[in-house]
Amino acid sequence: MIESLFQIIEPAQLAFPEEMGGSVLAPYLFVSTAMFAIGLIGFLTRKNMIIMFLCTELMFQAAGLALIAFGRHHLGSDGQTFVIFVLCVAAAEAAMALALVVLLFRHRETLSASAWKELNG
Amino acid sequence: MEQIIDPIALYTICGLGAAGIALALPRREQDGARTLTIVGGLLLAASFGLAALLLGLKAGDSGEALPNFFFYPFAAIGLGAALRMITHNRPVYSALYFIMTIIASCGMYLLLSAEFMAFALVIIYAGAILITYLFVIMLATQAPTGEQDEMLDEVDAVAREPYLASAIGFVLVGLLTAAMFRGIGDLPAPGNGMTQAQAQNQVLENLPKKIDKELARQDLLPEGWRVMRDHETGKAVIDVDARTITLELIDGKDSHGDPNIVATRVLTSEEWPESLSANNLDRLGYNLLNDHPMMIEIAGIILLMAMLGATVLARKHVELEEDLKAAQARKLGTMFEPNEGGRA
Repeated sequence: MIESLFQIIEPAQLAFPEEMGGSVLAPYLFVSTAMFAIGLIGFLTRKNMIIMFLCTELMFQAAGLALIAFGRHHLGSDGQTFVIFVLCVAAAEAAMALALVVLLFRHRETLSASAWKELNG
Repeated sequence: MEQIIDPIALYTICGLGAAGIALALPRREQDGARTLTIVGGLLLAASFGLAALLLGLKAGDSGEALPNFFFYPFAAIGLGAALRMITHNRPVYSALYFIMTIIASCGMYLLLSAEFMAFALVIIYAGAILITYLFVIMLATQAPTGEQDEMLDEVDAVAREPYLASAIGFVLVGLLTAAMFRGIGDLPAPGNGMTQAQAQNQVLENLPKKIDKELARQDLLPEGWRVMRDHETGKAVIDVDARTITLELIDGKDSHGDPNIVATRVLTSEEWPESLSANNLDRLGYNLLNDHPMMIEIAGIILLMAMLGATVLARKHVELEEDLKAAQARKLGTMFEPNEGGRA
């Protein structure tokens, strides 16, 4: 009984060279999409600028997960290479965004994004 | 084209998720807020659980493989921590929950056999980027201690347009998943038609020095011998499918400057060392440096520009009087030239 249960839950994701079919890829893509949506909702709803930038990092993370899952599906390394690039962009973005947040905080003494709502282009 | 999830079920899942996340977002009502957060979290968990169940049932019906069992806890932790990150009303906790999301996605990377990226993610994201975020959060906010939620900044306590944003977000999820799940059956067969061994070791023939090192470690390489190199491409002469390696004995150089091959022999598949295979790091490094060399340059420029920009943006202007500046300059001058300063 227990052994048959393990046979049900263990079959996919063997060693690397095994192929990964669409039915294994789909759950990863669903998690990636849901994570991206949570990041988007957070970016739209939160007023704290630091949290907003954290939410963009969450969206990067979701994109990275999708890249790696597709790379695994195609048995290639391109997905992982692009995740390295995503990491670089995330690091650069974090540095810029935090410098900007510190600058804006010095001007208004608040982290609220609505303190800058007159900035409508 | 057959769908992986029935569209009606998919839209139900998205509706549940949207309602859950809208309820869970932070709000001001003092007594009901915590209950609403819990209810929202439960709704969201129910929607994701339903999605996992439907995907599992569909795969079970058609006899296809399911993800590894460990995928489900990692996905649950990752999505739960992501949800808590956007609903928590204290920024420091949000950042810590984001680290939890990162670590859960590292688990998923490991399941997807991207080991190097998993550990790089822990080091770079959880170790460096998020710590920077924590520093800025702690510098820029004075969080109230204990349970004084009413003391919280209005910035963190109230969400802006929670219902509209949740609706938009989950419409996006519905559309994306519908589009992806419809197309997944049309994807080209996994692996681009390569055999498993080819996919694993395609890289190996481009790394003759690695083969030399591995053979020498296994005592399969007598003095002077090495893996035979193809004359034009410089690739190692190996056959990954048949598991044979051709070796050559080199003795000086001939009149054209090419290596003078005295003898060759073939290592059979019985002698093929088990440890000789291209691992994740070999494949990733080869792919990065061979197929995308420009990317490294671009990444370098982006990081340099970000560093310069951050320095310029975060710099603090210190206003000094002219005579104060002159005094500072004199002081610095005496500091760096002590002998002359002493004489003067």
